[in-house]
Amino acid sequence: MNEQQTMLADMAGGLFAELSHRATVADNWSSIEEMGFTGLLLSEADGGFGGGWVDAGIVFRLAGYHALALPVVEAIIAARLASDAGHHVEGIGTIAERTHGTLDGKRFTGMVRGVAWGRDAAFVIAPSPEGGALILSMADATIDGSSNVADEPRDVLRFTVAQATPIAADIFALGAAARSMQAAGALDAALALAVGYVNDRKQFGKPLGKLQAVQQALAVFACEAAATNSAAVGVAQALDRGDSSFEVAAAKLRANMAAGVGTAIAHQVHGAIGFTHEYDLHPLTRRLWSWRSEYGSEQFWSKALGQHVAGIGADNCWAEMVNRSDPVT
Amino acid sequence: MQTFTIKPFEMPPCSAALREEVRAIIREHVTDGDIARRANCWQVNDPDFSRALGKAGFVGMTLPKEYGGHERSALERYIVLEELLSAGAPVGAHWIADRQTAPLLIRYGTEEQRRRWVPGIAAGEVYGCIGLSEPNAGSDLASVRASARRDGNGWVLNGQKIWTTNAHISQVMIALFRSEEGSERNAGLSQFLIPLDTPGITIRPIINLTGEHDFNEVFFEDVRLPADALVGEEGRGWAQATAELSLERSGPERYLSSMVLVTELVRHAAATGDGAATALAGRFVSEAWTLRQMSLAVAGRMAMGEDPALEATIVKDLGNSFEQAIPQLVQQIVDLDLSSDDPIAVLAAQLLQVSPSFSLRGGTREILRGIVARGLGLR
Repeated sequence: MNEQQTMLADMAGGLFAELSHRATVADNWSSIEEMGFTGLLLSEADGGFGGGWVDAGIVFRLAGYHALALPVVEAIIAARLASDAGHHVEGIGTIAERTHGTLDGKRFTGMVRGVAWGRDAAFVIAPSPEGGALILSMADATIDGSSNVADEPRDVLRFTVAQATPIAADIFALGAAARSMQAAGALDAALALAVGYVNDRKQFGKPLGKLQAVQQALAVFACEAAATNSAAVGVAQALDRGDSSFEVAAAKLRANMAAGVGTAIAHQVHGAIGFTHEYDLHPLTRRLWSWRSEYGSEQFWSKALGQHVAGIGADNCWAEMVNRSDPVT
Repeated sequence: MQTFTIKPFEMPPCSAALREEVRAIIREHVTDGDIARRANCWQVNDPDFSRALGKAGFVGMTLPKEYGGHERSALERYIVLEELLSAGAPVGAHWIADRQTAPLLIRYGTEEQRRRWVPGIAAGEVYGCIGLSEPNAGSDLASVRASARRDGNGWVLNGQKIWTTNAHISQVMIALFRSEEGSERNAGLSQFLIPLDTPGITIRPIINLTGEHDFNEVFFEDVRLPADALVGEEGRGWAQATAELSLERSGPERYLSSMVLVTELVRHAAATGDGAATALAGRFVSEAWTLRQMSLAVAGRMAMGEDPALEATIVKDLGNSFEQAIPQLVQQIVDLDLSSDDPIAVLAAQLLQVSPSFSLRGGTREILRGIVARGLGLR
């Protein structure tokens, strides 16, 4: 990390740790606004931080690490896409996972699902039935409140002949990239909790961490967390380069695989205490289970990536994997 | 907690051109009809190909020019290696000499040793092997018993090494011997440079389960060596042997040994349209891409002069598990006729048999995970 990124990480890490999974939009959103996080991906001319996706990745990872119960990730992405479209709206922007409906010119009728904190948002960016995405105003929506298994709001919105602004963004892919970055943080945090716990907890006269079976399990977990973090950085770099469809698929798929392995080991080494509401493992693991399904399962992305490489041909598969990150000369 | 630190680094500006050079050499030379030889190709020997790579400047790439090297960067070398490995090129003959023997001699060797050995290594003509394991020292490497005793100006070596890959094609061995009588564990060990034509050395093949001859047992009976056979400092053998483990553990060979089978799986998926094979191919590509990010991140940090030992160990454990799982998963998803000459079946058959070694060679999975656990603050 460069100096600016270290400052950003310190700032986000400090605030998110304090807010944690106990934050609410009503009580705590103002502290996010005060720090200017929602302008992270806006140019300095637009009053933003002028950051790129690697910078955003640092913040998204920390949001995951601290199980932050605020739509910071979604608001940062939505602000950037709205600004790119010259669409200036006050208030919290958010993103949606799925759309069912029809677009007639610039009028949308239908349902938008998986809207993070839709109830608190001013506008939402949702996949368009015509490809690309739509910016929709929450003023036009009727809201059915719903949540994922981590109690993060995932609202269902209905629109009838509502004004829609079509944009070119692939919001499903951006959502997938963001979730893989958040998962990277959540896995590291769950690993840290697990390591701390097995070093403290004594059984058979010694800390659990002295048992080889426990050590080997946590080493596997560490490898999965490391892989997810590496994939998250890789996808952020690809987003900064431009075409990132390959990396989004690869990173979300890898994060999903790691979430399956990591959550299981985190709970196993914690024993019963990790299964209580009081102990702070579940805000992480329930998020990881939620995010594993959001914006594409392993099956979805493995098929997409498999079809992509089959389509370009076996003998081009390796080159596709490596040429993409070579410097353009 | 962040177990895997990634620092930004730039790939060399010449990356794309360099890849094309390597791919051209592969197209010219790797036309061998025996598809099985593409699997686990860094343990497949072809001295002709090693010489061709040496001639093209792709062996000893990072070494000083005065010893026949090319003074290319570590990342340029990485690009060449990953291209060779992903294509299944037979790079086994010179692999150890290029990766370990020559760099060790540049770092610790005498001027005379460098002049004698390094140019031949860089030409792809001189091959090396590593004498670490013994009948009673495997994962517990500090129980080395083979002895080196001072005799006048020189040394006399006695003892036995085992599982020595390529001892039978190598001209030289770098080996760990106990140079201080009565010393224990990792104290009192020294590294020696041993020309394998020295009298008193006997090399006997150990045939592996596929019937191939990769490794050997090597016996030392009153083997007399001059004083300068000692590499580096007397008694510092353990530190010297373990200093460059990060390079050995995190290279592209730790996750690409089965990549040729992934390529064939993609071909199978494209030809049949089979959904399960397509999805499996996608999964492998995701894992390989991620491991490459990890392996390159370690290479990038080493190029900056750091030693990310924990990260390197993670790359090896994860990479070995990946390359080992590939043939099993392909067998699970694709109907293979393992008696046929269908390339996917031939590669799967070969890799099913040799892949158990992937999580043994260069440090077993259990040892690596113990190291990762220690890095996490356990133990």
